[in-house]
Amino acid sequence: MLEIDDLSLSYGPVEAVRGVSLRVPAGQVTAVIGANGAGKSSLLRCVAGLVAPSSGRVTLDGADVTAHAPEALVRRGLVLVPEGRSTIPELTVRDNLDLGGLTRPRAERRETSAEVLDLFPRLAERLHVHASALSGGERQQLAIGRALMSRPRVLLLDEPSLGLAPLIVTQILELVARLARETDLAVLLVEQNAATALRVADDGAVLHLGSVVAAGPAAELAEDEGLRHAYLGY
Amino acid sequence: MNPLEVLVGYLLGGVANGAVIALIALALVLTWRSSRVINFAQVGQAMFTSFIALSVQQATGLWWLAAGAVLGLVVYLLTLRPIRRSDSSGAIIATFGILIALQAGAAMIWGGDLVAFPQPFPASGIETGDRVWPISIYDLVVLGVAAALVLGLSLFLTRTGIGLAMRASAFQPEVVRLSGIDVRKTLALGWALAGIVGSLAGVLIAPISSLSPNSFDLLLILAFTAAVIGGLDSLVGAVMFGLGTGLLLSVVTGYSSAEDAPLAALILLALNLLLKPGGVFARPGARDV
Repeated sequence: MLEIDDLSLSYGPVEAVRGVSLRVPAGQVTAVIGANGAGKSSLLRCVAGLVAPSSGRVTLDGADVTAHAPEALVRRGLVLVPEGRSTIPELTVRDNLDLGGLTRPRAERRETSAEVLDLFPRLAERLHVHASALSGGERQQLAIGRALMSRPRVLLLDEPSLGLAPLIVTQILELVARLARETDLAVLLVEQNAATALRVADDGAVLHLGSVVAAGPAAELAEDEGLRHAYLGY
Repeated sequence: MNPLEVLVGYLLGGVANGAVIALIALALVLTWRSSRVINFAQVGQAMFTSFIALSVQQATGLWWLAAGAVLGLVVYLLTLRPIRRSDSSGAIIATFGILIALQAGAAMIWGGDLVAFPQPFPASGIETGDRVWPISIYDLVVLGVAAALVLGLSLFLTRTGIGLAMRASAFQPEVVRLSGIDVRKTLALGWALAGIVGSLAGVLIAPISSLSPNSFDLLLILAFTAAVIGGLDSLVGAVMFGLGTGLLLSVVTGYSSAEDAPLAALILLALNLLLKPGGVFARPGARDV
Protein backbone atom coordinates (compact mmCIF):
# COMPACT_ATOMS: atom_id res chain seq x y z
CA MET A 1 0.00 0.00 0.00
CA LEU A 2 1.07 3.55 -0.80
CA GLU A 3 0.52 6.18 1.88
CA ILE A 4 0.95 9.90 1.36
CA ASP A 5 1.07 11.85 4.59
CA ASP A 6 0.74 15.63 4.80
CA LEU A 7 2.73 16.14 1.60
CA SER A 8 3.53 19.67 0.42
CA LEU A 9 5.47 20.86 -2.61
CA SER A 10 6.52 24.36 -3.61
CA TYR A 11 8.01 25.74 -6.82
CA GLY A 12 9.71 28.84 -5.40
CA PRO A 13 6.98 30.97 -3.82
CA VAL A 14 4.19 28.95 -5.47
CA GLU A 15 2.74 26.16 -3.31
CA ALA A 16 1.57 23.52 -5.79
CA VAL A 17 0.63 20.82 -3.24
CA ARG A 18 -0.55 21.67 0.29
CA GLY A 19 -0.62 19.05 3.03
CA VAL A 20 -2.13 16.23 0.94
CA SER A 21 -2.78 12.92 2.70
CA LEU A 22 -3.98 9.85 0.78
CA ARG A 23 -4.06 6.06 1.13
CA VAL A 24 -3.79 3.94 -2.00
CA PRO A 25 -4.60 0.33 -1.03
CA ALA A 26 -3.52 -2.71 -3.04
CA GLY A 27 -6.10 -4.06 -5.49
CA GLN A 28 -7.90 -0.74 -5.80
CA VAL A 29 -7.97 2.35 -7.99
CA THR A 30 -7.78 5.65 -6.14
CA ALA A 31 -8.61 8.64 -8.31
CA VAL A 32 -7.36 12.16 -7.71
CA ILE A 33 -9.51 14.58 -9.68
CA GLY A 34 -9.60 18.33 -10.06
CA ALA A 35 -9.42 21.16 -12.53
CA ASN A 36 -6.38 22.08 -14.57
CA GLY A 37 -3.73 23.57 -12.27
CA ALA A 38 -5.10 21.91 -9.11
CA GLY A 39 -1.71 20.30 -8.41
CA LYS A 40 -2.54 16.74 -9.50
CA SER A 41 0.49 16.16 -11.73
CA SER A 42 2.79 17.88 -9.21
CA LEU A 43 1.53 15.47 -6.56
CA LEU A 44 2.33 12.44 -8.75
CA ARG A 45 5.75 13.76 -9.79
CA CYS A 46 6.57 14.31 -6.12
CA VAL A 47 5.45 10.80 -5.11
CA ALA A 48 7.44 9.31 -8.03
CA GLY A 49 10.63 11.08 -6.91
CA LEU A 50 10.95 13.46 -9.86
CA VAL A 51 10.67 16.49 -7.55
CA ALA A 52 11.41 16.64 -3.82
CA PRO A 53 8.59 17.64 -1.46
CA SER A 54 9.01 20.63 0.83
CA SER A 55 7.48 18.61 3.68
CA GLY A 56 5.53 15.43 4.39
CA ARG A 57 6.13 11.70 3.93
CA VAL A 58 5.56 8.99 1.34
CA THR A 59 5.60 5.37 2.50
CA LEU A 60 5.46 2.19 0.42
CA ASP A 61 4.32 -0.88 2.39
CA GLY A 62 5.43 0.89 5.57
CA ALA A 63 8.90 1.90 4.35
CA ASP A 64 9.69 5.61 4.07
CA VAL A 65 10.48 6.37 0.41
CA THR A 66 10.12 10.16 0.52
CA ALA A 67 12.26 11.89 -2.13
CA HIS A 68 13.86 8.62 -3.24
CA ALA A 69 15.16 8.79 -6.84
CA PRO A 70 12.65 7.54 -9.46
CA GLU A 71 14.97 4.73 -10.55
CA ALA A 72 15.18 3.49 -6.93
CA LEU A 73 11.39 3.67 -6.57
CA VAL A 74 10.88 1.61 -9.75
CA ARG A 75 13.08 -1.09 -8.25
CA ARG A 76 10.89 -1.00 -5.12
CA GLY A 77 7.75 -1.43 -7.22
CA LEU A 78 6.43 2.12 -7.69
CA VAL A 79 6.12 3.28 -11.31
CA LEU A 80 4.79 6.49 -12.84
CA VAL A 81 3.26 6.73 -16.31
CA PRO A 82 3.67 10.47 -16.88
CA GLU A 83 1.28 12.74 -18.72
CA GLY A 84 1.51 12.82 -22.52
CA ARG A 85 1.88 9.13 -23.42
CA SER A 86 5.45 8.71 -22.37
CA THR A 87 6.75 6.42 -25.05
CA ILE A 88 9.95 6.88 -27.02
CA PRO A 89 8.82 7.49 -30.63
CA GLU A 90 12.25 6.70 -32.10
CA LEU A 91 12.21 3.15 -30.67
CA THR A 92 10.05 0.20 -31.71
CA VAL A 93 7.17 -1.08 -29.61
CA ARG A 94 9.34 -4.07 -28.64
CA ASP A 95 12.18 -1.79 -27.48
CA ASN A 96 9.81 0.45 -25.53
CA LEU A 97 8.42 -2.57 -23.70
CA ASP A 98 11.86 -4.08 -23.08
CA LEU A 99 13.04 -0.77 -21.65
CA GLY A 100 10.35 -1.03 -18.95
CA GLY A 101 11.54 -4.50 -17.97
CA LEU A 102 15.28 -3.85 -17.82
CA THR A 103 15.30 -3.94 -14.01
CA ARG A 104 13.96 -7.52 -14.07
CA PRO A 105 15.81 -10.76 -14.91
CA ARG A 106 15.74 -11.69 -18.62
CA ALA A 107 13.57 -14.81 -18.17
CA GLU A 108 11.01 -12.91 -16.11
CA ARG A 109 11.03 -10.14 -18.73
CA ARG A 110 9.95 -12.59 -21.42
CA GLU A 111 7.12 -13.91 -19.26
CA THR A 112 5.90 -10.40 -18.34
CA SER A 113 6.14 -9.30 -21.95
CA ALA A 114 3.80 -12.14 -22.98
CA GLU A 115 1.34 -11.11 -20.26
CA VAL A 116 1.45 -7.44 -21.32
CA LEU A 117 0.91 -8.37 -24.96
CA ASP A 118 -2.06 -10.53 -23.94
CA LEU A 119 -3.45 -7.48 -22.18
CA PHE A 120 -2.84 -5.20 -25.18
CA PRO A 121 -3.16 -7.43 -28.28
CA ARG A 122 -2.93 -4.43 -30.61
CA LEU A 123 0.67 -3.93 -29.45
CA ALA A 124 1.47 -7.56 -30.24
CA GLU A 125 0.50 -6.90 -33.86
CA ARG A 126 2.79 -3.88 -34.06
CA LEU A 127 5.86 -5.05 -32.14
CA HIS A 128 8.37 -4.00 -34.79
CA VAL A 129 6.76 -0.67 -35.62
CA HIS A 130 8.26 2.56 -34.29
CA ALA A 131 6.18 4.09 -31.51
CA SER A 132 5.90 7.27 -33.59
CA ALA A 133 3.64 5.36 -35.99
CA LEU A 134 1.11 4.36 -33.30
CA SER A 135 -2.23 6.04 -32.71
CA GLY A 136 -2.81 8.00 -29.49
CA GLY A 137 -4.66 5.12 -27.86
CA GLU A 138 -1.98 2.61 -28.84
CA ARG A 139 0.74 4.87 -27.45
CA GLN A 140 -1.12 5.13 -24.15
CA GLN A 141 -1.39 1.33 -24.07
CA LEU A 142 2.34 1.14 -24.77
CA ALA A 143 3.13 3.61 -21.97
CA ILE A 144 1.09 1.55 -19.50
CA GLY A 145 2.56 -1.68 -20.90
CA ARG A 146 6.08 -0.32 -20.42
CA ALA A 147 5.26 0.49 -16.79
CA LEU A 148 3.78 -2.98 -16.21
CA MET A 149 6.97 -4.61 -17.56
CA SER A 150 8.69 -3.76 -14.26
CA ARG A 151 5.99 -5.72 -12.36
CA PRO A 152 4.98 -2.77 -10.15
CA ARG A 153 3.04 -3.00 -6.90
CA VAL A 154 1.95 0.63 -7.23
CA LEU A 155 1.08 2.27 -10.56
CA LEU A 156 0.78 6.06 -10.81
CA LEU A 157 -1.18 7.16 -13.89
CA ASP A 158 -1.09 10.82 -14.89
CA GLU A 159 -3.96 11.96 -17.13
CA PRO A 160 -4.18 8.87 -19.35
CA SER A 161 -7.27 10.34 -21.08
CA LEU A 162 -5.42 13.36 -22.46
CA GLY A 163 -6.21 13.75 -26.16
CA LEU A 164 -7.95 10.37 -26.49
CA ALA A 165 -11.46 9.54 -27.72
CA PRO A 166 -13.91 8.85 -24.82
CA LEU A 167 -14.43 5.22 -25.87
CA ILE A 168 -10.67 4.54 -25.85
CA VAL A 169 -10.34 6.24 -22.43
CA THR A 170 -13.09 4.07 -20.97
CA GLN A 171 -11.52 0.90 -22.40
CA ILE A 172 -8.08 1.74 -21.03
CA LEU A 173 -9.30 2.75 -17.58
CA GLU A 174 -11.58 -0.28 -17.24
CA LEU A 175 -8.65 -2.48 -18.14
CA VAL A 176 -6.48 -0.78 -15.51
CA ALA A 177 -9.22 -1.26 -12.90
CA ARG A 178 -9.53 -4.96 -13.79
CA LEU A 179 -5.75 -5.31 -13.60
CA ALA A 180 -5.73 -3.70 -10.14
CA ARG A 181 -8.35 -6.14 -8.84
CA GLU A 182 -6.87 -9.25 -10.45
CA THR A 183 -3.18 -8.61 -9.63
CA ASP A 184 -3.51 -6.74 -6.33
CA LEU A 185 -2.00 -3.65 -7.93
CA ALA A 186 -2.46 -0.30 -6.16
CA VAL A 187 -3.36 2.37 -8.74
CA LEU A 188 -3.26 6.10 -8.13
CA LEU A 189 -5.05 7.69 -11.07
CA VAL A 190 -4.85 11.42 -11.67
CA GLU A 191 -7.50 12.69 -14.06
CA GLN A 192 -9.13 15.87 -15.23
CA ASN A 193 -11.93 13.79 -16.74
CA ALA A 194 -13.66 13.33 -13.37
CA ALA A 195 -16.74 11.42 -14.52
CA THR A 196 -14.74 8.64 -16.23
CA ALA A 197 -12.17 8.44 -13.43
CA LEU A 198 -14.79 8.14 -10.68
CA ARG A 199 -16.67 5.49 -12.67
CA VAL A 200 -13.70 3.09 -12.58
CA ALA A 201 -12.17 4.10 -9.22
CA ASP A 202 -12.91 2.63 -5.79
CA ASP A 203 -11.97 5.73 -3.83
CA GLY A 204 -11.38 9.31 -4.84
CA ALA A 205 -10.10 12.67 -3.69
CA VAL A 206 -10.83 16.10 -5.11
CA LEU A 207 -7.86 18.43 -5.32
CA HIS A 208 -8.35 22.20 -5.50
CA LEU A 209 -5.46 24.69 -5.48
CA GLY A 210 -3.16 22.00 -4.10
CA SER A 211 -5.38 20.88 -1.20
CA VAL A 212 -7.76 17.92 -0.81
CA VAL A 213 -11.23 19.44 -0.47
CA ALA A 214 -13.17 16.17 -0.49
CA ALA A 215 -12.34 12.46 -0.25
CA GLY A 216 -14.24 9.21 0.05
CA PRO A 217 -15.72 6.34 -1.97
CA ALA A 218 -15.69 7.23 -5.69
CA ALA A 219 -19.41 6.49 -6.12
CA GLU A 220 -20.31 8.97 -3.37
CA LEU A 221 -18.10 11.70 -4.83
CA ALA A 222 -19.66 11.14 -8.25
CA GLU A 223 -23.16 11.60 -6.76
CA ASP A 224 -22.32 14.78 -4.85
CA GLU A 225 -23.94 17.48 -6.95
CA GLY A 226 -22.47 20.38 -4.96
CA LEU A 227 -18.96 19.01 -5.43
CA ARG A 228 -19.56 18.49 -9.13
CA HIS A 229 -20.71 22.07 -9.65
CA ALA A 230 -18.06 23.68 -7.42
CA TYR A 231 -14.93 21.78 -8.48
CA LEU A 232 -15.51 19.26 -11.23
CA GLY A 233 -17.42 21.25 -13.82
CA TYR A 234 -19.89 18.63 -15.04
CA MET B 1 50.01 1.51 -65.58
CA ASN B 2 46.71 2.23 -67.31
CA PRO B 3 44.35 4.92 -65.90
CA LEU B 4 42.11 2.35 -64.18
CA GLU B 5 45.07 0.81 -62.38
CA VAL B 6 46.14 4.27 -61.26
CA LEU B 7 42.66 4.96 -59.87
CA VAL B 8 42.54 1.59 -58.06
CA GLY B 9 45.97 2.33 -56.64
CA TYR B 10 44.81 5.67 -55.25
CA LEU B 11 41.67 4.07 -53.80
CA LEU B 12 43.59 1.27 -52.07
CA GLY B 13 46.02 3.83 -50.70
CA GLY B 14 43.14 5.59 -48.89
CA VAL B 15 41.80 2.51 -47.10
CA ALA B 16 43.69 2.89 -43.79
CA ASN B 17 43.06 6.64 -43.54
CA GLY B 18 39.41 6.03 -44.38
CA ALA B 19 39.08 3.37 -41.68
CA VAL B 20 40.56 5.70 -39.05
CA ILE B 21 38.28 8.56 -40.14
CA ALA B 22 35.43 6.05 -39.85
CA LEU B 23 36.45 5.17 -36.28
CA ILE B 24 36.55 8.81 -35.16
CA ALA B 25 33.19 9.37 -36.89
CA LEU B 26 31.93 6.31 -35.04
CA ALA B 27 33.05 7.82 -31.72
CA LEU B 28 31.27 11.09 -32.59
CA VAL B 29 28.10 9.14 -33.42
CA LEU B 30 28.32 7.21 -30.13
CA THR B 31 28.35 10.35 -27.97
CA TRP B 32 25.63 11.85 -30.17
CA ARG B 33 23.46 8.74 -29.82
CA SER B 34 23.86 8.54 -26.06
CA SER B 35 23.55 12.24 -25.23
CA ARG B 36 22.71 14.38 -28.29
CA VAL B 37 26.06 16.14 -27.96
CA ILE B 38 28.90 16.26 -30.53
CA ASN B 39 32.17 15.76 -28.67
CA PHE B 40 34.72 17.91 -30.49
CA ALA B 41 37.32 16.92 -27.89
CA GLN B 42 37.28 13.40 -29.39
CA VAL B 43 40.46 13.87 -31.44
CA GLY B 44 42.13 15.58 -28.48
CA GLN B 45 41.36 12.49 -26.43
CA ALA B 46 42.67 10.26 -29.23
CA MET B 47 45.87 12.33 -29.44
CA PHE B 48 46.39 12.35 -25.67
CA THR B 49 45.83 8.60 -25.28
CA SER B 50 48.14 7.95 -28.24
CA PHE B 51 50.88 9.87 -26.39
CA ILE B 52 50.15 7.80 -23.28
CA ALA B 53 50.32 4.64 -25.42
CA LEU B 54 53.64 5.76 -26.83
CA SER B 55 54.97 6.42 -23.34
CA VAL B 56 53.96 3.04 -21.96
CA GLN B 57 54.42 1.03 -25.14
CA GLN B 58 57.40 -0.90 -23.78
CA ALA B 59 55.64 -1.72 -20.50
CA THR B 60 52.19 -2.88 -21.71
CA GLY B 61 50.27 -2.60 -24.94
CA LEU B 62 46.88 -2.26 -23.27
CA TRP B 63 47.15 0.72 -20.94
CA TRP B 64 46.02 3.14 -23.61
CA LEU B 65 42.66 1.37 -23.81
CA ALA B 66 41.91 2.13 -20.17
CA ALA B 67 43.19 5.66 -20.71
CA GLY B 68 40.71 6.08 -23.57
CA ALA B 69 37.79 5.09 -21.37
CA VAL B 70 38.99 7.24 -18.48
CA LEU B 71 39.44 10.27 -20.74
CA GLY B 72 35.98 9.72 -22.19
CA LEU B 73 34.54 9.69 -18.69
CA VAL B 74 36.54 12.75 -17.63
CA VAL B 75 35.30 14.75 -20.62
CA TYR B 76 31.73 13.67 -19.83
CA LEU B 77 32.11 14.67 -16.19
CA LEU B 78 33.66 18.03 -17.11
CA THR B 79 31.20 18.95 -19.85
CA LEU B 80 27.93 17.17 -20.17
CA ARG B 81 27.10 16.41 -16.57
CA PRO B 82 27.37 19.96 -15.18
CA ILE B 83 26.01 21.62 -18.32
CA ARG B 84 23.28 19.17 -19.29
CA ARG B 85 20.61 21.08 -17.40
CA SER B 86 21.04 24.12 -19.63
CA ASP B 87 21.21 22.85 -23.22
CA SER B 88 23.36 20.69 -25.44
CA SER B 89 24.98 23.67 -27.24
CA GLY B 90 26.69 24.60 -23.95
CA ALA B 91 28.16 21.11 -23.69
CA ILE B 92 29.30 21.19 -27.34
CA ILE B 93 31.19 24.46 -26.78
CA ALA B 94 32.69 23.02 -23.59
CA THR B 95 34.09 20.09 -25.60
CA PHE B 96 36.03 22.64 -27.72
CA GLY B 97 37.49 23.96 -24.48
CA ILE B 98 38.50 20.45 -23.45
CA LEU B 99 40.12 19.92 -26.89
CA ILE B 100 42.26 23.05 -26.46
CA ALA B 101 43.15 22.05 -22.88
CA LEU B 102 44.19 18.55 -23.99
CA GLN B 103 46.35 19.93 -26.82
CA ALA B 104 48.00 22.44 -24.50
CA GLY B 105 48.47 19.75 -21.83
CA ALA B 106 50.06 17.34 -24.34
CA ALA B 107 52.42 20.07 -25.58
CA MET B 108 53.51 20.76 -22.00
CA ILE B 109 54.10 17.07 -21.22
CA TRP B 110 55.47 15.66 -24.49
CA GLY B 111 56.48 18.82 -26.37
CA GLY B 112 55.05 20.27 -29.60
CA ASP B 113 57.23 18.43 -32.15
CA LEU B 114 56.19 15.56 -34.39
CA VAL B 115 57.31 12.21 -32.99
CA ALA B 116 57.39 8.83 -34.70
CA PHE B 117 55.13 6.05 -33.43
CA PRO B 118 56.35 2.44 -33.79
CA GLN B 119 54.59 0.27 -36.38
CA PRO B 120 53.25 -3.04 -35.02
CA PHE B 121 52.72 -4.43 -38.58
CA PRO B 122 54.49 -3.78 -41.90
CA ALA B 123 53.14 -0.59 -43.51
CA SER B 124 54.77 -1.14 -46.90
CA GLY B 125 52.78 -2.37 -49.91
CA ILE B 126 51.99 -6.09 -50.12
CA GLU B 127 54.17 -7.88 -52.69
CA THR B 128 52.81 -10.64 -54.95
CA GLY B 129 55.46 -11.93 -57.36
CA ASP B 130 57.08 -8.89 -58.91
CA ARG B 131 54.07 -6.65 -58.20
CA VAL B 132 53.78 -4.30 -55.19
CA TRP B 133 50.18 -3.42 -54.27
CA PRO B 134 49.40 0.07 -52.88
CA ILE B 135 47.92 -1.50 -49.75
CA SER B 136 49.77 -2.92 -46.74
CA ILE B 137 49.15 -5.53 -44.05
CA TYR B 138 48.76 -2.59 -41.70
CA ASP B 139 45.99 -1.07 -43.87
CA LEU B 140 44.13 -4.38 -43.78
CA VAL B 141 44.51 -4.61 -39.98
CA VAL B 142 43.08 -1.10 -39.58
CA LEU B 143 40.18 -2.00 -41.88
CA GLY B 144 39.56 -5.24 -39.96
CA VAL B 145 39.59 -3.47 -36.58
CA ALA B 146 37.10 -0.87 -37.86
CA ALA B 147 34.79 -3.57 -39.26
CA ALA B 148 34.94 -5.59 -36.03
CA LEU B 149 34.19 -2.50 -33.95
CA VAL B 150 31.17 -1.54 -36.05
CA LEU B 151 29.79 -5.04 -35.82
CA GLY B 152 30.47 -5.29 -32.07
CA LEU B 153 29.00 -1.87 -31.30
CA SER B 154 25.94 -2.49 -33.47
CA LEU B 155 25.27 -5.74 -31.63
CA PHE B 156 25.90 -4.08 -28.27
CA LEU B 157 23.50 -1.20 -28.99
CA THR B 158 20.72 -3.30 -30.50
CA ARG B 159 20.93 -6.62 -28.63
CA THR B 160 21.76 -5.72 -25.02
CA GLY B 161 19.77 -4.05 -22.27
CA ILE B 162 22.51 -1.47 -21.61
CA GLY B 163 22.59 -0.65 -25.34
CA LEU B 164 18.82 -0.16 -25.33
CA ALA B 165 19.06 2.09 -22.26
CA MET B 166 21.79 4.11 -24.01
CA ARG B 167 19.67 4.60 -27.13
CA ALA B 168 16.60 5.52 -25.10
CA SER B 169 18.52 7.94 -22.83
CA ALA B 170 19.43 10.04 -25.84
CA PHE B 171 15.79 10.71 -26.62
CA GLN B 172 13.87 10.77 -23.33
CA PRO B 173 16.03 10.52 -20.23
CA GLU B 174 13.07 11.03 -17.90
CA VAL B 175 11.23 8.02 -19.34
CA VAL B 176 14.40 5.97 -18.89
CA ARG B 177 14.67 7.06 -15.23
CA LEU B 178 11.02 6.11 -14.78
CA SER B 179 11.93 2.67 -16.12
CA GLY B 180 14.37 2.20 -13.25
CA ILE B 181 17.60 2.99 -15.14
CA ASP B 182 20.28 5.35 -13.84
CA VAL B 183 20.66 7.66 -16.85
CA ARG B 184 23.90 9.20 -15.56
CA LYS B 185 25.55 5.76 -15.70
CA THR B 186 24.36 5.05 -19.26
CA LEU B 187 25.60 8.47 -20.43
CA ALA B 188 28.96 7.92 -18.75
CA LEU B 189 29.22 4.51 -20.40
CA GLY B 190 28.44 6.00 -23.83
CA TRP B 191 31.19 8.57 -23.46
CA ALA B 192 33.63 5.99 -22.13
CA LEU B 193 32.91 3.69 -25.10
CA ALA B 194 33.38 6.59 -27.51
CA GLY B 195 36.64 7.36 -25.71
CA ILE B 196 37.86 3.81 -26.31
CA VAL B 197 36.91 3.88 -30.00
CA GLY B 198 38.56 7.30 -30.48
CA SER B 199 41.70 6.16 -28.69
CA LEU B 200 41.88 3.08 -30.85
CA ALA B 201 41.66 5.33 -33.93
CA GLY B 202 44.49 7.48 -32.59
CA VAL B 203 46.77 4.53 -31.93
CA LEU B 204 46.00 3.12 -35.39
CA ILE B 205 46.69 6.34 -37.32
CA ALA B 206 49.77 7.40 -35.32
CA PRO B 207 52.12 4.74 -36.80
CA ILE B 208 51.30 5.76 -40.40
CA SER B 209 51.27 9.53 -39.86
CA SER B 210 53.16 10.70 -36.75
CA LEU B 211 52.14 12.24 -33.48
CA SER B 212 51.99 15.83 -32.22
CA PRO B 213 49.44 17.73 -30.11
CA ASN B 214 47.75 19.08 -33.26
CA SER B 215 48.33 16.21 -35.66
CA PHE B 216 44.72 14.94 -35.55
CA ASP B 217 42.99 18.30 -36.15
CA LEU B 218 42.25 17.55 -39.81
CA LEU B 219 40.95 14.14 -38.75
CA LEU B 220 38.26 15.88 -36.68
CA ILE B 221 37.01 17.87 -39.68
CA LEU B 222 36.97 14.79 -41.89
CA ALA B 223 35.30 12.57 -39.27
CA PHE B 224 32.71 15.24 -38.50
CA THR B 225 31.99 15.52 -42.22
CA ALA B 226 31.56 11.75 -42.48
CA ALA B 227 29.34 11.55 -39.38
CA VAL B 228 27.09 14.38 -40.62
CA ILE B 229 26.76 12.94 -44.11
CA GLY B 230 25.99 9.55 -42.60
CA GLY B 231 23.13 11.06 -40.61
CA LEU B 232 24.83 11.41 -37.17
CA ASP B 233 22.66 8.64 -35.73
CA SER B 234 23.91 5.86 -37.95
CA LEU B 235 26.94 3.70 -37.11
CA VAL B 236 26.88 2.23 -40.60
CA GLY B 237 26.59 5.72 -42.13
CA ALA B 238 29.59 6.96 -40.13
CA VAL B 239 31.72 4.03 -41.23
CA MET B 240 30.64 4.09 -44.88
CA PHE B 241 31.21 7.80 -45.29
CA GLY B 242 34.33 7.73 -43.13
CA LEU B 243 35.82 5.18 -45.48
CA GLY B 244 34.47 7.10 -48.48
CA THR B 245 36.07 10.32 -47.24
CA GLY B 246 39.42 8.54 -46.87
CA LEU B 247 39.19 7.17 -50.41
CA LEU B 248 38.15 10.56 -51.81
CA LEU B 249 41.09 12.27 -50.09
CA SER B 250 43.49 9.71 -51.51
CA VAL B 251 42.10 10.15 -55.03
CA VAL B 252 42.17 13.98 -54.81
CA THR B 253 45.71 13.85 -53.40
CA GLY B 254 46.77 11.51 -56.17
CA TYR B 255 45.29 13.47 -59.09
CA SER B 256 45.80 16.94 -57.62
CA SER B 257 47.66 17.60 -54.36
CA ALA B 258 47.38 16.91 -50.63
CA GLU B 259 46.52 20.58 -50.04
CA ASP B 260 43.30 20.19 -52.06
CA ALA B 261 42.07 17.16 -50.08
CA PRO B 262 40.42 19.04 -47.14
CA LEU B 263 38.71 21.34 -49.65
CA ALA B 264 37.21 18.28 -51.37
CA ALA B 265 35.83 17.09 -48.01
CA LEU B 266 34.27 20.49 -47.33
CA ILE B 267 32.69 20.56 -50.81
CA LEU B 268 31.24 17.10 -50.05
CA LEU B 269 29.82 18.38 -46.73
CA ALA B 270 28.35 21.48 -48.41
CA LEU B 271 26.73 19.36 -51.12
CA ASN B 272 25.28 17.04 -48.50
CA LEU B 273 23.86 19.95 -46.49
CA LEU B 274 22.31 21.39 -49.65
CA LEU B 275 20.88 18.18 -51.07
CA LYS B 276 20.14 15.99 -48.03
CA PRO B 277 20.62 18.05 -44.87
CA GLY B 278 19.34 15.31 -42.56
CA GLY B 279 22.11 12.96 -43.64
CA VAL B 280 21.92 9.95 -45.92
CA PHE B 281 21.04 7.34 -43.27
CA ALA B 282 19.02 9.51 -40.88
CA ARG B 283 15.42 8.77 -40.01
CA PRO B 284 13.13 11.82 -40.03
CA GLY B 285 13.64 13.81 -36.83
CA ALA B 286 16.76 11.86 -35.83
CA ARG B 287 18.83 15.02 -35.59
CA ASP B 288 16.32 17.03 -33.52
CA VAL B 289 17.81 17.95 -30.15
